[in-house]
Amino acid sequence: MAEQRARLWAVLAPPALWLGALLVAPLVLLCGYSFRSGIGGSLFGDWIVTLDNYRTLAATPSFLELLGVSIGIALVVALAATLLAYPVAYYLVFRVRARAGMYVALLLVPFWISYLLRVMAWKVILGSGGAVNAFLLWLGLIREPISVFFYSRFAVVITLIYVWTPFVALPIMATLYRIDRSVLEAAASLGATPGQRFWRVTVPLSLPGVLAGVVMVFIPTVGEYVTPLLVGGSTGAMYGNLIQDFFGRSANWPLGAALAVVMLVGTLVLVGATSRISQVERFIR
Amino acid sequence: MQQHLGRWPLPVTLATLVVLACGGEKKPQPAASAALTPETTGTLTVLDWAGYEDTSMFIGFHQKYPKVTVSVAFGESDADIFGKMKAGADACVFHPYTGWQPFYVRDGLVQELDTTRLSHWAEVPARFKALGQVNGKQYFIPWDWGFTSILYRTDKVPGGIDSWNALFDPKYKGHISMWDDGPGAVTIATYVKGWDETKLTEPQLAEIEHMWTAQRKLNRFYWTGEPELVQGMASGEIWVAYAWQGAYNTLLGQGVPVAYAQPKEKRNSWVGLYGISSACKDTNLAYGFLDEKLSAEQGTTLISSFAYGHVNPAAAKGVTDTNIVKALSLNDPAVLDRTLFTPLVSEADRDHFGQLWARVKAAQ
Repeated sequence: MAEQRARLWAVLAPPALWLGALLVAPLVLLCGYSFRSGIGGSLFGDWIVTLDNYRTLAATPSFLELLGVSIGIALVVALAATLLAYPVAYYLVFRVRARAGMYVALLLVPFWISYLLRVMAWKVILGSGGAVNAFLLWLGLIREPISVFFYSRFAVVITLIYVWTPFVALPIMATLYRIDRSVLEAAASLGATPGQRFWRVTVPLSLPGVLAGVVMVFIPTVGEYVTPLLVGGSTGAMYGNLIQDFFGRSANWPLGAALAVVMLVGTLVLVGATSRISQVERFIR
Repeated sequence: MQQHLGRWPLPVTLATLVVLACGGEKKPQPAASAALTPETTGTLTVLDWAGYEDTSMFIGFHQKYPKVTVSVAFGESDADIFGKMKAGADACVFHPYTGWQPFYVRDGLVQELDTTRLSHWAEVPARFKALGQVNGKQYFIPWDWGFTSILYRTDKVPGGIDSWNALFDPKYKGHISMWDDGPGAVTIATYVKGWDETKLTEPQLAEIEHMWTAQRKLNRFYWTGEPELVQGMASGEIWVAYAWQGAYNTLLGQGVPVAYAQPKEKRNSWVGLYGISSACKDTNLAYGFLDEKLSAEQGTTLISSFAYGHVNPAAAKGVTDTNIVKALSLNDPAVLDRTLFTPLVSEADRDHFGQLWARVKAAQ
């Protein structure tokens, strides 16, 4: 018994230490910083506790509005990416079958190329002198390049959907694979049409994967800052850009930390509520 | 002298005293880089910006002391360099820009300089020396400098530009690019309004925020790095921009039709500084490094290779590249009189400017 426990500890210790040092400790420090008055002085010595950062945040409606906008963008991106990924996953699992491995590899090929390069490719496609504008100009449909394609919130959303779609296909595929084919056969033998089989059997059984995909995209997208920085222009900033600014060029870590804590709590509440309402466990059982 | 000894590591001090007490035959060496010879070995750690690790950035030091290794770590912004120094970066020498000096002094991260150990110090104009002082003491040497002004495409703006107001002109809607920086944005707004940047009132700050929020609709993108701006101007997407002289020089080199404005409100100028960390043990190497940085020959290399200004006025004499002469107005000795150096702002003001800029970007 004691030996078993020792073995358990031996197995658990490395990941626990890893998480403790690299996730829990920084998060605690982040929370601590959000109650600190400034970055002056030593890290543990000159600690003046204050609620000023949260007061500043509460008194700045535009910051909270931008958080709302970012949550909205994340929802749109998560839903759109899932809707686009579902047919792909369905096709790979139910139609391709034998060579699905190769197709999955193809699906993931974009990830072999640096994210920065792929975003730059969007510039070549959507920019003022890009492919879309050049084509429309050549057709004579427009006289001046359409600038809204790039350096705008629209460009941010398009790019994020593009980036996430292949990711979302993976959890959906995993749940589709797990569907017992005899269930579908039973539905058919009881007279269900292909449409009924899809909507009443396949979709409900694949919901856990769909939800996992939505959440997997939603959470990182709320705090996204690289894509808006590259393609968002002056009006495409997201909440993550504010946090980055306060930690970066403004050197106002306490306010940045307060913004980060608010986003973290907000995201946790939203995701917690979603999984509560949808009762994912029901499907997993 | 006592104070001078006080900053030397104890063993060095004791050794010096022993030598002096024994009436050593060697006379005390001149102060500048006393212990350094071409045979000196060791490693000097430097915290600097990407690009400054290039040997030509410290060619004089490298040629004089070839056996010393200069090990450069990078910071990506002033805030980043400050953060790394605070976190205890292992760097003897570091490179902040104007506006950040007092924070290093306040937190005890920089040591006061003994300028008698810098043989080239006398060649630096007082105007530059003053920028390295905090509370009347010299903590930093000034080194590289440059301009901020309005860069514009002469083919798209044939009438030319003579005011910072161009960045707010609806005529150029969708073709303007501002630097992504709060304090920088506040500086420009105060030039346009004729206000004192160090004594801004609440209503003035509100007005500045309003100006930039309205400007957002005219602005194509806020640039964060020079290559992004250069590309935007070269492609013709950007006509009018807040820019440093480096971008002007690059675009001239590419044959893009651009001009660098001489605004009636004056140009802005920024200056890079080098300081010695208070944790630095071997200050001999650090002083040798700083001293060589100030030489005219090093300055000429800096100007010719990177189109940055150098604090030693003699450095400009060796520069022949016409684009660089134009970019830095080297043929115009009075240009610095028409230039405003970024003043020191308090940390509280800096925070306010940062928040103001964040609100501008967050506005819906």
